Amino acid sequence: MREPTFLILTALAGGPRHGYGIIGEVNALSAGRVTLLPGTLYTALDRLVAQGHVAHDRDEHVDGRLRRYYRLTPPGQQALETETARLRQLATAAETRLRALRPRTA
Amino acid sequence: MPPTGDPLARRYRRLLIGYPRDWRRARADEVVAVLLDTATPGRTRPTTREAVNLLRHGLRARLGRPASRTVVAWATLAAVICGLFTAALATWAAWHTARPLPDRAAARAVVAEVLPGHEVGGIDPAAALFTFYSQPLRARNLDSLLLGDGGEYQQASVTVAVTSAPTQRQEVLALARRRLDETGWRTYPTHVRPDVTCRVDGCTPTGAVTEIVTARRGDTALTLTVAPRPSIDDTYVTVGLSRATPTAVPFAAVAGGLLGAAAGWLLFGWVSRRTERPHPAAGTVTVLYAATMLLWWAPVLLAAPSLFRHHLGEPHPVWHPLWEWLGQPALSLFFVVGAGCALCGLALAALPRRGPLPYAADQHELLG
Repeated sequence: MREPTFLILTALAGGPRHGYGIIGEVNALSAGRVTLLPGTLYTALDRLVAQGHVAHDRDEHVDGRLRRYYRLTPPGQQALETETARLRQLATAAETRLRALRPRTA
Repeated sequence: MPPTGDPLARRYRRLLIGYPRDWRRARADEVVAVLLDTATPGRTRPTTREAVNLLRHGLRARLGRPASRTVVAWATLAAVICGLFTAALATWAAWHTARPLPDRAAARAVVAEVLPGHEVGGIDPAAALFTFYSQPLRARNLDSLLLGDGGEYQQASVTVAVTSAPTQRQEVLALARRRLDETGWRTYPTHVRPDVTCRVDGCTPTGAVTEIVTARRGDTALTLTVAPRPSIDDTYVTVGLSRATPTAVPFAAVAGGLLGAAAGWLLFGWVSRRTERPHPAAGTVTVLYAATMLLWWAPVLLAAPSLFRHHLGEPHPVWHPLWEWLGQPALSLFFVVGAGCALCGLALAALPRRGPLPYAADQHELLG
């Protein structure tokens, strides 16, 4: 799973969000490192909807602008859990190696 | 969102042209709202980054199949080959802007200039800029062209035979090179080709060599061939004159290539979206696509490397035309059968679908 996809699913794990909300949440989650452009976001959303990981939740109109909300589906939650476990395992392995390396280089 | 007087919204909406119409109908209001939300206050024009991003992802959306990770590669394969063939067709048309080949008097004058004091024998004028078995290509030759003889469609040259008795070969070559330099020709290194004798069981080198000097001046290319021994009519030097690639050719190649690649991408996208399952001919169309790509790419992959080696092997004042690099018309039967498969695929894709188009379905789901 690519990083933007992981971040979009993570953003939706906090509850349904509209496009602009997802962009803001992804930016916050990545500490400002990832700023999704709308074209990129909607290509990812199209893919996630087609894979059944994300679904349409509801529509709202705010100041004449359409806000379409998306939510994480159970398969999407499962995919996010699997990816999180994979990343955690990798991070743990890297941390273990780095801990072993530090006393020698100190 | 209905069209508003907001110029930024109008410009964003215009940039969605890259997306297919069904997608725009279902999502344009939503995407424009997000774009307006992300725009800094007071801005009236999309940024270049936004424009490129929307056009790029719009072209991706045109392919449909949002979950596919390979559809972009398949579309690229189709777009590149379409671009190559349309570029070749455009260069063929542009080649016809070349001046007619030199007539007998002009050819005789060139030989008198390059090999003064040598006697001119026969002059074999060219019937056209490109000929098929030394004759202009005619409709009645198309079957021969398709069925194996396509390689005979070649650039023609006016050939002048020089028949006066040879002095030393090296003297003739030195004289020709000196005169070419003095009269403004750009000369290339002499190419030496071993002479061979061929029998039923194969060809063996005789030890003698044919030496070839090539040169170019303006839009004329010259090939001076010194044979190891005089031919039956006492010809020992031949001078061939042909036309250099016209200036319009590279421009036509770029324009034709871009137009063809764009058309290939859009057509592939249309077929891809139309034939997303359920479609009665989805499987057949995939097979026809594979056959088309195989039949169109195979001649290119066969011809281009061998022509590249040929170009490296001897000097070329004029490059072989683009269609020869694509294996055309030597392997034009492959191209024609491939084109037939492509047309069948397009016709099947136009069949009525069992369900709505995927984006229309999305819209139904989204709005339902």
